[in-house]
Amino acid sequence: MRRLLWIPWRWWRRAAQLVLLIVFLWLFRRTEYSGAEQLAGGENILFRLDPLVGAAAMLAGRQVIAMFWPALVLVGLTLVLGRFFCGWVCPLGTLLDYFHGLLRPITRRTNELLRPRLAAASASSLRATRYFLLIAVLLAAVLAFPLVGLVDPFSLLVRGLTFVADPLLARAADACFAGSGDSWAGTVLQPFVKKHLLPFRPMVFYLTGVSAAILLVIFALELAARRFWCRWLCPAGALFGLLARRSLVKRIPVRVCKACGKCADLCRMDALDPAAGLSPHACTLCMECVDHCPKGIVQFGLGRKAKPEPRPVDLSRRGVLTGIAAGVAIPGAAIAARLGHESPVPPNLIRPPGVGEEKTFLSLCIRCGECMKVCPTNVLQPAIFEAGLAGIFSPRLVPRLVFEQSNCEYTCTLCSQVCPTGAIPRLTEELKHHHPSGKSYFDHNLCLPWAKETPCIRCEEMCPTPEKAIKIFNTFKITKDGEEVEIQQPFIDRELCVGCGICESNCTIEGTAGIRLQRIDAPDPGTEFLLKKPKRLGTPAAPPASR
Amino acid sequence: MDRREFLEQVAAWSAGACLATPVFNVQSIVAAERQAKGKSLLAVAKGKDYAALVAQVMKPLGGMAAFVSKDDRVVVKPNIGWDRTPEQGANTHPDVVKAIVQQCLDAGAKRVLVFDRTVNDARRCYVKSGIQAAVESIGDSRAQCVFQDQDKFVPVQIENAKSLKEFHFYKDALATECDCYINVPIAKHHCLSKLTIGMKNAMGVIGGNRGEIHKGIHQRIADLNLVIRSKLTIVDATRILLRNGPTGGKLEDVKVLDTLIASADPVAADAYATTLFGMKPEELGSTVAAAKLGLGEMDLSKVKIITA
Repeated sequence: MRRLLWIPWRWWRRAAQLVLLIVFLWLFRRTEYSGAEQLAGGENILFRLDPLVGAAAMLAGRQVIAMFWPALVLVGLTLVLGRFFCGWVCPLGTLLDYFHGLLRPITRRTNELLRPRLAAASASSLRATRYFLLIAVLLAAVLAFPLVGLVDPFSLLVRGLTFVADPLLARAADACFAGSGDSWAGTVLQPFVKKHLLPFRPMVFYLTGVSAAILLVIFALELAARRFWCRWLCPAGALFGLLARRSLVKRIPVRVCKACGKCADLCRMDALDPAAGLSPHACTLCMECVDHCPKGIVQFGLGRKAKPEPRPVDLSRRGVLTGIAAGVAIPGAAIAARLGHESPVPPNLIRPPGVGEEKTFLSLCIRCGECMKVCPTNVLQPAIFEAGLAGIFSPRLVPRLVFEQSNCEYTCTLCSQVCPTGAIPRLTEELKHHHPSGKSYFDHNLCLPWAKETPCIRCEEMCPTPEKAIKIFNTFKITKDGEEVEIQQPFIDRELCVGCGICESNCTIEGTAGIRLQRIDAPDPGTEFLLKKPKRLGTPAAPPASR
Repeated sequence: MDRREFLEQVAAWSAGACLATPVFNVQSIVAAERQAKGKSLLAVAKGKDYAALVAQVMKPLGGMAAFVSKDDRVVVKPNIGWDRTPEQGANTHPDVVKAIVQQCLDAGAKRVLVFDRTVNDARRCYVKSGIQAAVESIGDSRAQCVFQDQDKFVPVQIENAKSLKEFHFYKDALATECDCYINVPIAKHHCLSKLTIGMKNAMGVIGGNRGEIHKGIHQRIADLNLVIRSKLTIVDATRILLRNGPTGGKLEDVKVLDTLIASADPVAADAYATTLFGMKPEELGSTVAAAKLGLGEMDLSKVKIITA
């Protein structure tokens, strides 16, 4: 069948790409608080469709994660249809196609220029790179090291959109609408754009530059060759390719006509070789060869008789060995790098609520950035090296980054709803309050009522527990004028503390706060007594016994 | 224009733009009004139907039309600071807000804005307090419950302030953008300032670092009210929060009083509301400081109190 309903196949593919990209972006936009405690669901579907992420998380977490059932469906479809996901569905692939098309005047020339070199490289090492990455990711996962988040296309894409594109977009729109006032643009257009197209407010993240750089490189590689990332680097694509080796649906004929060879020139995935014919593990069913065949003899179908030449999956022995070596060496190096630390987990590395053991969390977390995207207060930030090399891009609470806003909201459970692997376990409000991942401690050398005998207790004001976890100890001081002034000194009942960090984010001291969140498993920091006694004019009162 | 002249003009204009912080002080306006009116008037009403209660408490003051004129730009400023439900008593009751907005619209207001600078995530507070839904349920495009725009916080100099000489204020709440500012606080316990009622509700229209206010809180709250002039204060004491304020969250700490207090005198309104907690007006530092600044009458014996 060369056309479907008289419409060329490549137009069907393009339509599917566009629709699915819009669906993806719509889901991305919906990954935000919108008035209900429960999200509609399905926001993280892209990750749950990804068999690479699923396999890596299950291997690393040593458990079967039922949430990945869509990936199983996709595996089944790939066994039948081949690597259609890469050509028809993947939002990164679609964006790369659009980017390539947008810069066609440039990409055409640069691609032409680099083609001979890349062909040579491709013949030797380039072709094996994606398999090497795939082996490294899976092997690292077996060693409970989460390498997948650093190379999985969806993690890279969603993080890039969350950390870079979204804040940029929001700020650009703000700049465009600045001063639009009572005009039509200000009263009609701006509210519409704000409500439907923009995030609620521009967020701020660590590692923005790194995320931007990774995406920029992936897009810039289009200058070298079309779909460079998908062709030679993407490990998820490599996995789809392996599944597609004996797919039922394939291009017929599997050979390339010797006289013409136009399709081999046209192929964006290197799937057609004038000599060897079709490589099913590379073909993404983009349908260009169907529509552009001068003789009109190419089509995709079940061709049981037409078996492609059995071709090795571009995987040299050297490639396999390097993959294995990297899969072992990277976790090995990371573990070695952390051996030097006396305490492996820094006390201020607070994980999202409900998260238990650090090791399990790190192996299950795929660094997709969904939790940081959905967090309404921007308190969830990617770790840099606080959790060791292995912890880069994993979420942590940073209560002081965005002043007065960075706290974990008392009733919010959104991060647990979007986590595709259960690294952040599914929470209810009650569960969340019973499983805090941190507790607050005062620093009596900074806290104003303790260190300077100045009234403050903003932390107590903010504390959200129905019975305040921060309690007040009333004392008096006699000023120089002989006046008796009441000082309210705060202390904390850590049984009641839910570790939300609102006290730290709102502490009136700038810089390091006078009350700080600590990991729940960290020892008492010992800051709840004064090292230097203030010049007290009256008699000092005994500090309350802390729990 | 030669180059020198051009540069001089650029320098002069940029200097002007930098220095031109608006100066606010409502003392003289308040003094003139108090002179003209004589004794401060305060209305108290009790009832279960909060919509009817608003009309009831406004009656002795001459109804909403006495405050809102035709084509006025009105700001109704409730407390929407917390991610709490109405019965938890941390935010102004949505029915009260709705009835006030409705009355402003009936009085011919051109625009009624409802907003607050929230402590918890604004979206959560607007939803959980029920206020967003209440304002939207009126179904009049003139009335809008809006999120604050970060670009609209402007620096303001506060003339005659004792402690807070300059701060950022929300533009839409300033007298330049708003003809009638109606303060609709809820009366609550607050550990540092003892109670939070009307004066402290001005915290919802200031920008910058609100922690600064906590350093000498009583005077600073009074200073804020030198800029924000509430033409009308309606204290929501339909239920008051006795302990664990201002956040609340425990229903045992909430006392249902079904009471509204209305007055054009913000100090008198706070002073009267203080008595609901069994306290004396002078126990509240911000009330004393505001009375000293001449913003109103705190001696309830000098206030004409009408039970409607």
